[in-house]
Amino acid sequence: MKRYSQYSTNVGDFSDVPFWKKAGTMDLVYVSYGIFIVILVIVSYILGAFNLLPFDPHEINLKLLMAPPKTAGHILGTDFMGRDILSRLIIGIQAYFLPGLLAIAIALVIGTCFGILAGYWGGGFDTAITYISNLLNSFPRLVLILLMVAAFKPDIYYIMVIVGITNVPVVASLIKGKIQFLKQKYFIEAATALGLKNRIIIFKHILWHNCRSVLIIQATLGMAEAILMETSLSYLGFGVQEPVPSWGNMVLSGANYFMQGKFWPSTAPALAILFTIMGFHLLGDGLNNILEMKRSK
Amino acid sequence: MKLSAIRPILFLICKELAIAGLLLLGVSFVVFIILILSPGDPFSLLLKGQMASNTVGAGTLEAVKVPAAWYVQYLSWLSNILRGNFGTSIRTGLPVLSEVVRVGINTLYLTIGSMLVTLLLAVPIALFSARRGMTVFNWTSTIFTYVVSALPVFWFGYIVIYISMHQFGLFPLAFGSSSQKISWLYFILPVFVLGIGNGTISEVVRYLREEMERVFSEDYIRLARAKGASIWKHSLTEGFLIPITEIIASKIPFILGGAVVVEQVFNWPGMGRMAWQAAQDRDYPLIMGITIVAAIIVRLGSLIQSVVYIIVNPRASQE
Amino acid sequence: MSIAPVLQIENLRTYFYSRSKEAFIRSVDGVSLEIDKGETLGIVGESGSGKSITALSTMGLISAEPGVIIGKIRLTTESVQKDLLQDLNNYVKIDRSPGMIMEVYKDNSGWQKYTDRMMRGIRGKEISMIFQNPKVSLNPFITIGKQITESIMLNTPIKNRNEAKERALYWLEQVKIDSPRLRYNNNPYGLSGGMCQRAMIAMALSSEPSLLIADEPTTGLDATIQSKIVGLLAELKSSVGVTAMLISHDINVIMELSDKVAVMYGGTVLEHGPAKDILTEGSLYKHPYTEALLGSIPNEQHIREKGYLQAIKGDVLDTINIPEGCRFHARCNKITDRTREQCEHIEPDLKEVSPGHSVMCWLFVDS
Repeated sequence: MKRYSQYSTNVGDFSDVPFWKKAGTMDLVYVSYGIFIVILVIVSYILGAFNLLPFDPHEINLKLLMAPPKTAGHILGTDFMGRDILSRLIIGIQAYFLPGLLAIAIALVIGTCFGILAGYWGGGFDTAITYISNLLNSFPRLVLILLMVAAFKPDIYYIMVIVGITNVPVVASLIKGKIQFLKQKYFIEAATALGLKNRIIIFKHILWHNCRSVLIIQATLGMAEAILMETSLSYLGFGVQEPVPSWGNMVLSGANYFMQGKFWPSTAPALAILFTIMGFHLLGDGLNNILEMKRSK
Repeated sequence: MKLSAIRPILFLICKELAIAGLLLLGVSFVVFIILILSPGDPFSLLLKGQMASNTVGAGTLEAVKVPAAWYVQYLSWLSNILRGNFGTSIRTGLPVLSEVVRVGINTLYLTIGSMLVTLLLAVPIALFSARRGMTVFNWTSTIFTYVVSALPVFWFGYIVIYISMHQFGLFPLAFGSSSQKISWLYFILPVFVLGIGNGTISEVVRYLREEMERVFSEDYIRLARAKGASIWKHSLTEGFLIPITEIIASKIPFILGGAVVVEQVFNWPGMGRMAWQAAQDRDYPLIMGITIVAAIIVRLGSLIQSVVYIIVNPRASQE
Repeated sequence: MSIAPVLQIENLRTYFYSRSKEAFIRSVDGVSLEIDKGETLGIVGESGSGKSITALSTMGLISAEPGVIIGKIRLTTESVQKDLLQDLNNYVKIDRSPGMIMEVYKDNSGWQKYTDRMMRGIRGKEISMIFQNPKVSLNPFITIGKQITESIMLNTPIKNRNEAKERALYWLEQVKIDSPRLRYNNNPYGLSGGMCQRAMIAMALSSEPSLLIADEPTTGLDATIQSKIVGLLAELKSSVGVTAMLISHDINVIMELSDKVAVMYGGTVLEHGPAKDILTEGSLYKHPYTEALLGSIPNEQHIREKGYLQAIKGDVLDTINIPEGCRFHARCNKITDRTREQCEHIEPDLKEVSPGHSVMCWLFVDS
């Protein structure tokens, strides 16, 4: 049985309950978990940047190989060369954090420009941008990256440029969709009729008031994608190389030991990947449900 | 179907073919740009390889002259491509296209198989939660799909291999070897891993469920209920068939990317592993060929989806 | 012995819950109606008065929460005599703890499943419903012919596809659609609004239902087509003898087709009775709202008399904040000093002012 209660008849015209009551419980759980992960990542990144680590990530300790968690001060244990796993995980964040931000920035900036061109002015722009979007979508991301790696060098920033560019179609179509929605509601026509300059209409009214939630959501999903790409590439041997730790190459180097039954060196970074990507995904989807879908009346 | 309806459908299908062709042209151009901008000028090497295959044989490589202007280079490269001449692999010297096609079959098997696995799991969850709303089953299955979608697919592959090694006594490390007890398992495992671990499930579930819910709230479904008809029958076309083809077509590039990793884990001789090898070796003709073939597969999927949409949707053909 | 009415709605309440306002939207707040066999009951009222929701509640098509809460809907036809809301008390409980206006416990999925089971064999067969916006109400992926045939095969004894097709063609002819054989194979996309509406009417009547519910059948159509559809419905009424519940906010449509009229406002029925009593201007006993509605019709006479269009002052009732007293009193221009006290604080009951004609207004109650 579901319970519906009304406490007062004094419900004013514009009084809406705060959004945390309006949103579904699961969505709030998702978003809280996501924010927790984001904070964790940022804090760890800062710790890593300032070298505030429990142990030296490169320090080999042959006496303590593959120690389980909580041995001798190693909170997450050591890997197959006796290096502290937690410190390596923290440093591993650097492999994707800034490059990921680059990918997000490229996707959002170019995607928004395309979306605005296609949606606001339409016509030839729309056709051209649709063509470009379909073109970019024709490539499997990883294959295109391998092509780049073969043709140029396996630099993580080059790779993230590709990741960013291949995410442009999604952002562009979202922005274009928003603009078409607003056009349908005569919103844009009214603004133009009032004499507002195009620039103002676009930046203030369309982007800031209507699109910012979509852009934030795309940023979170973009980071999840960047982590996925970076770890997959390090796993494949491109991207970050040993001994510099990346969550991907940590899983790779632990693989042999995994098959021998020593799971932890491979599993610890894999779990890090799992919980982090899940955090960004849940954050994005949760925000999407709360901000974008006006489910409640 | 009426004859008068077939002609506009054929016309639209031809239009879609033309668009696919134009897109593939664009693909070739992008690949060309990447290669020609690369330091060390691999493109000339590529072109020479192509032209050499056209004439007598390998030994004429040095004797072949490459045209200077870039657009001529592009055109001559493109004309070779269209004739099926993708050049020869730097490492093996074998013609690229036939090699890629040879291993491409294995990747195609992985792709289609994993898609089936994904759908097998995603469809029931999506349909059930669209119909019955948010029950406990839906929450738990939704969280399950999120977890499974964030799993690194390579680690998931390790787990699966480990379990199959120790539980079933199977060593799935050799392709097609008949000396194993349950060798058929070898063909199932990579498909299973790619279908579940690649992160497609949660998005497929979400998309299908949203589309189905949207259709359920449409006016014509309300009329169907009002006349006592089955909702499923009426919502199937727009709520199921069209979204499924849509999501499959859009996920193909993603699955091909995942195949690169999974083929690595399982040592599966497919396009993905070949691409990895080619990238390692800087084998430009090979990696270029794989990129183009992959794009062709993607566009093919998209074409099929458009065709299905045109056939099924009367609105599309009665403009 | 008088024959029982085909449809008898008693004290129906359908509320929706707004999560953002934490309050109930009282769309249908105690509605009682009756439709006798062969009669057309016209329900008229402004948007938001609850007319469509009443119809949808009868059909069990309300999906928003919590939906129908309480009431009795009695259907009496040759093959079916039952209360459509029977036993649904198991799924709902209305409570009121101190400090609370109202509390409803409802098992939504249980209610829905039970309703679907209850309405099987009734929807489409005993009661047919047509909607406004015919182009989007028909399935765009199937030809209209197939949709009608489907209804026939589901709801009549005809199970043979060819026979059903013949029947469908017969009904397409009845609704005066041009070249029925050709139109049979058309998709709704290729047909005009008027033709789609005719097709929907054909589909509804082809199963020969005991009751036809028409929810705003002419709204959304061009003015000329509207009058054609109204003419069609009038013809079908006399040729087929259909019992109907006609809902519209357009008084002219109601005037042309109804035998009885119910005027709804703010979720309740303010007045109901024979059409000629209610809809002729100047007759003695009439609710102020009905009078104002009739007076606001933009026709020649009114404009000549007054010189401008007569509107009803104020806004439509907000069905969350239902005020004390008569629901209409804030907009009423006939309040007298004698009745002011009551109008503002106590909601009147329906009082019969002439045979078959009841009004909910303090003006007609002698103190």
